[in-house]
Amino acid sequence: MSDAPIPETTPETPSGPFVYDYTTAPNRQVVLPKTVPLPGYRTYVAEQKALVEAEEAKWQKQLADFDTAKAKAEAEGKDAPKAPVKAVAKKNDTDMVFPAPTEAKDPTLLHLVNGLGDKVEEAFEQAGELTCQVAKEHILEALRLCREDAQLKFEMLADETATHYPAAQGFAFSVVYHLTSIARKKRLRLRILVPEGFEPESATQVYPSANWMEREIWDMLGIRFANHPNMIRILCPEDWEGHALRKEYPVVGWGQRDIDFREDRGGMLNRIAMEKAGQLGINLKRPKAE
Amino acid sequence: MFKNEEMEVNLGPQHPSTHGVLRVKLRLDGETIKHCTPVIGYLHRGVEKICENKTFFQGQVWTDRMDYCSAVANNLGWAEANEKLFGITVPRRAQYIRTMLNEFNRLASHLIWLATHALDIGAMTVFLYTFREREDILDINEAFCGSRLTTTALRIGGLREDLPPGFAKLVNKFLAKFPACLEEYENLLSENRIWKKRTVGVAKLNAEDAIALGVTGPVLRAAGVPYDIRKAFPYAAYAEMDFEVPTRTEADTYARYLVRLAEMRQSTRIIQQCMDGLPEGPVMAKIPKILRAEVNEVYHATEAPKGEIGYYLVGEKGSTNPYRFHVRAPGFINLQSLPKMVEGSLLADIVAAIGTLDIVLGEIDR
Amino acid sequence: MPTPTLTQSLIIALLQAILVVVFIFVVVPLTLYAERKVLGYLQLRLGATRVAGSLTGLTGFVNRNMWKLGKVPMLSYWRGIVMLVGDVVKMIIKEDILPTKADKFVFFIAPAISFCASVIVFAAISFVPGTLFVLPKFIPIVGGLPVSGAVGDVNVGLLWILGIASVGVYGIVLAGWASNSKYPLLGGLRSGAQIVSYEVPLTLSLLAPVVMSGSLQFSEMSRSMAVGLPYWGIVPQFLGFFIYLTCGFAETNRLPFDMPEAENELVAGFHTEYSGMKFGFFYLAEYINMTVVAALASAFFLGGPWLMPFGLHGVLNPFFTAHLPAFLVPLLCEPHAIFFVVKIIFILFVYIWVRGTIPRYRYDQVMAVAWKYLIPLTLVNLMLAAAVRYLTV
Repeated sequence: MSDAPIPETTPETPSGPFVYDYTTAPNRQVVLPKTVPLPGYRTYVAEQKALVEAEEAKWQKQLADFDTAKAKAEAEGKDAPKAPVKAVAKKNDTDMVFPAPTEAKDPTLLHLVNGLGDKVEEAFEQAGELTCQVAKEHILEALRLCREDAQLKFEMLADETATHYPAAQGFAFSVVYHLTSIARKKRLRLRILVPEGFEPESATQVYPSANWMEREIWDMLGIRFANHPNMIRILCPEDWEGHALRKEYPVVGWGQRDIDFREDRGGMLNRIAMEKAGQLGINLKRPKAE
Repeated sequence: MFKNEEMEVNLGPQHPSTHGVLRVKLRLDGETIKHCTPVIGYLHRGVEKICENKTFFQGQVWTDRMDYCSAVANNLGWAEANEKLFGITVPRRAQYIRTMLNEFNRLASHLIWLATHALDIGAMTVFLYTFREREDILDINEAFCGSRLTTTALRIGGLREDLPPGFAKLVNKFLAKFPACLEEYENLLSENRIWKKRTVGVAKLNAEDAIALGVTGPVLRAAGVPYDIRKAFPYAAYAEMDFEVPTRTEADTYARYLVRLAEMRQSTRIIQQCMDGLPEGPVMAKIPKILRAEVNEVYHATEAPKGEIGYYLVGEKGSTNPYRFHVRAPGFINLQSLPKMVEGSLLADIVAAIGTLDIVLGEIDR
Repeated sequence: MPTPTLTQSLIIALLQAILVVVFIFVVVPLTLYAERKVLGYLQLRLGATRVAGSLTGLTGFVNRNMWKLGKVPMLSYWRGIVMLVGDVVKMIIKEDILPTKADKFVFFIAPAISFCASVIVFAAISFVPGTLFVLPKFIPIVGGLPVSGAVGDVNVGLLWILGIASVGVYGIVLAGWASNSKYPLLGGLRSGAQIVSYEVPLTLSLLAPVVMSGSLQFSEMSRSMAVGLPYWGIVPQFLGFFIYLTCGFAETNRLPFDMPEAENELVAGFHTEYSGMKFGFFYLAEYINMTVVAALASAFFLGGPWLMPFGLHGVLNPFFTAHLPAFLVPLLCEPHAIFFVVKIIFILFVYIWVRGTIPRYRYDQVMAVAWKYLIPLTLVNLMLAAAVRYLTV
C-alpha cells in the first residue's frame, strides 16, 4: 500500500482510456440483432415482391388520397391540389451495384442439386458464388458427393465457419463449408441451418482439414460436431466461459478481465478500497514506523 | 531400474524458434518425435468479434495486425471481399497499384521467412542480408502511405491516394538491385552442403495429404500442385499479368525454399509489368461515405504470401457493420499439417518444419 | 643458473599460473569483442557500439571534443570497446538463480569442472621456448630465478592436454543433469555423445604430429614440426590440419556443431538454467577451449608457435640478420610469443568467420560426420604421416 494522501473524493469513473467499472462499460452492452440476414434467392424474391407491392399500395393510397382531396377541393370550390407524381427510383451515381441473388444456372451447382435430390433446401448464385443449402442431417452425404463425384471433384475444404442468428425461428446457426476444386477451378458453398444443441456430423470424416476449423467453431460459437476426433476448444482455454462469437457475448467479455488480469494502475483500486474501508470504520493504512 | 520412458517436452510458448507464441507439445523417444500436438491461442485477440462491432471501413486496421508481415495482402483480401459484398467496381489504375503493392508485400514476407528460416537452421548471416532488402521495401511502403509495416494502404473501392512523385524511381532502383541480392542468398544457401543436409527430405508433405489437410501456398506448390489463386481465380490485375507459378515435386523443405525463391523472381516480374503498364485514371471508385449492407454473404480468397487468405462476410440489411466477419487464415490451416510433417523425425527437424510453414501467430490466433 | 628449491619452484609456478589466468582474462573478452565486431562486419552492421554513451567515458570524452572541433567522431565505431569490461562486470553482478528442483551441489560444481578443466590445459602449453623472463634480484626468495614459458612443459604434454580437456565434458553433462529440466538434459546428453565421439578423430589427427616429431612434449613437438623437419608441418599434414580444426569446432561446441546449445532447438542447451557467474564460467570455458584449440593448431600445423608462418623464417633469417637494424633482429628472427598470439588470433577469426557463414548440422548428421568420415580420414592421415616419417628420418 502506498502512503500517498487519500483523495477527498473517489473518482468512480475516472476520465481517460481506463474504464474501471466494466459492468457499465459501453462495450459491455449487447444489442441483439433483430433481423435474420440469411441470404437466399427465395427470401430475396419474396422481399422484392413485398417491396414492390408495398410501393404499389403506397402509390394507390396516394392516388386515392389525391382523389378525395380533389373531390373535397371541388366541393369547396378551391383550386385542385397537385397531382401526385410516381416516385422514380433514385439514380445510382456510385460504382456500386448490389449483386442480387439469382437462380441456380451453373452446371456444377445443377449437377449437385440433381445428385442430392430432395436433400437440397435451396440453391442459388450470388456475387459469382454458388451456394447450396442442404438438410442438416445430410451434410456428410453432400460433402462426400462433392468430393467423390467426377463432375464435382471438390478436393479441398478451404474453410468452414458458422454464423449465429439469435433472431431466427427454427434454427440458431448457419454452418457454411467453402469447397475448392483445384482441378476444375471452382468454388462452392454448402450451408446447413442448425438449431441450438444439434450436433451436425463432423466433416473430418471426408475432409481432414476440418479438424481445427470445427474446433474453432465449437470454441467461438458453441456448435459441437458429432464424430469429431478431438472436440475441444482451440483458441480459448478449456475453462473459458461462453462462446465469444455469439451475438449475446459482449465485446469486452464476461468479466474475466475485471478480476484477474487487470493491474491496479496508479493504485486506484487500492485507494478506493481504503476509502470504502474507512467509511466502514476499518483502518487499512499501514501504521507508520515510530 | 532401466525403464524406457518417453519424455514430454514443451516447445514454446516462449522458445526461440516458434515464431511467436506457438506451443508444441512433443513426446520424445530420445531425440525422435513420437507425438506432436500444436497448441495455439496465446495471441487470441478476438479480431473477428471486434470487426463485427466496427464499421466496414474500420475493420481494416485489424486485418493489418493479423499477419503483420504481410499487411497489404491482408488488406487486399479484406478490401476485395467488401467490394464483392457491395458490388463495387474498382478503377483499373487502383487495381494495378494494389497488385504492385501486394507483390512488394510478398517479397517482404518471403524475405522475413528466409531470414528466420535460415536463422532457425543456424545460418545467421542471411538474416541481416534479407533485412537489408526488406528495408528498401518498407521504404517504398513508407513512400506510398507513410507507414512501414502495418500499412493500411488500401481502401474499400480503391486507394486513398495516387502514387507519390518519385515513386517510380524508388521502384526502379529496387528492381535493378534485387536480382543480384537474390543471387547472393542463393550463393549462401542453395548449394551449401549443410543447408541441403538440413532441408532435403525433411518435413515431407505429399500432395495428397496437403490437399486433404487444406494446405495452400508455397507448401502446396512445393508438392507439385500448381494451385495459385492469382492464376486459378484471378483478382486485382493478376489476369493481365504474365507470370509463372513455380512448382516442385519433392515436397520437402528444400523444395519449399526453392519455390519461394522462384516466387520472389516472379514477383519482381509482376512489379515490373505493373510499373510499365500502369494505366491512367482515378484510383478510387465512387462510393458513399457510409456503406450500408444488403443481405449478402461472400467468401473471397486471395493469395497471401503464406497461402490462401479468405474473408467470409455476411451483410445485414441497413447495417454499417458486418454481421459476420470470419478470416480463413492460411497459417491456421497450414499449421494443422505440422504433426503429419514431423512425427517420426528428429527434434531438430521440427524447427525446420515450423520455419518452412512460415507461420505468423498473430494471424493463426487472430 | 641455480637449481631452485621446492619453495622457490612453487612460488614460481604460482606466478606462472597467475600469468596464465591473466592471459586468459585478457584473451577471452577480446575474443568476445572481436566476435561481435567481426560478425557485425560479416553481417553489414556495426557490432557493439553502444556500451559507453556518446557523451560518457573515455571515448565519449574524445567524441565530445571532436564534435566541439566540428568533426564527426570516428571513434564511435569503437565505442563498444567498453564491452570488454562490461561483459565481465555484467556476469559477476547478475543475480545467481538456483532452480528449486536442481541438484544443488552438482549444479554448483558443474561450471567449476568445465572452467577448471579448460584452464588447467594451459599448464602444458609453452608460450615461449625456454625462459620467459628472469625475476629481478631484489625480490625476496625467488630473486634472480628464471620463469619459463610454460607452467609445466612435461614430457607427456599432449596426453595431459587431451586428458584434461576431455574432463570438461563432465561439466556439461553434469550441468544438463543437475538442472533437472528437459532442455538442459537433452543438451547435456547430446553434448556427451558428441564430445566423446569427436575426441576420437581429434586425438587421431593429433597423433600424426606425434608420429612425425617422435615426442609428446609440447615444446619439443612444436619445435620439430616447425624447424625439425626439412619441410613445413602443414605440407604433409594438410588433411590432418583440417580434420583437427573440424574436430576442434565440434569439441568447443561452435557452429556448425553447436548441438549442446543449439539455441533454436534447445533454447540454450545445457546452460539454460544457469545465470550469473555460473553461466559465465561455461561461457569462459568455451572461449578458453577455443583458444586452446587455436594454440594447438598453430603449434603443430602452422609452423610452430613462436616463428613466422609459412616457414618464412628459414628463408628470411639470413636476409634479416644481414640487413635489418639490430633491435629488430631478435624480434623477427628468434622464437617469439608474438607470432604465437597472432596465429591464435587468426584461428579464432576463422572460428567467427565460420559461425557467420554456415548453418548448423542436425544431431544425427553430426555423429555421422564423426564416425563415417572423420575417423577413416584420420586413419588414412596417420598412415600418411607414418610414411613421411619413415621416408625422411
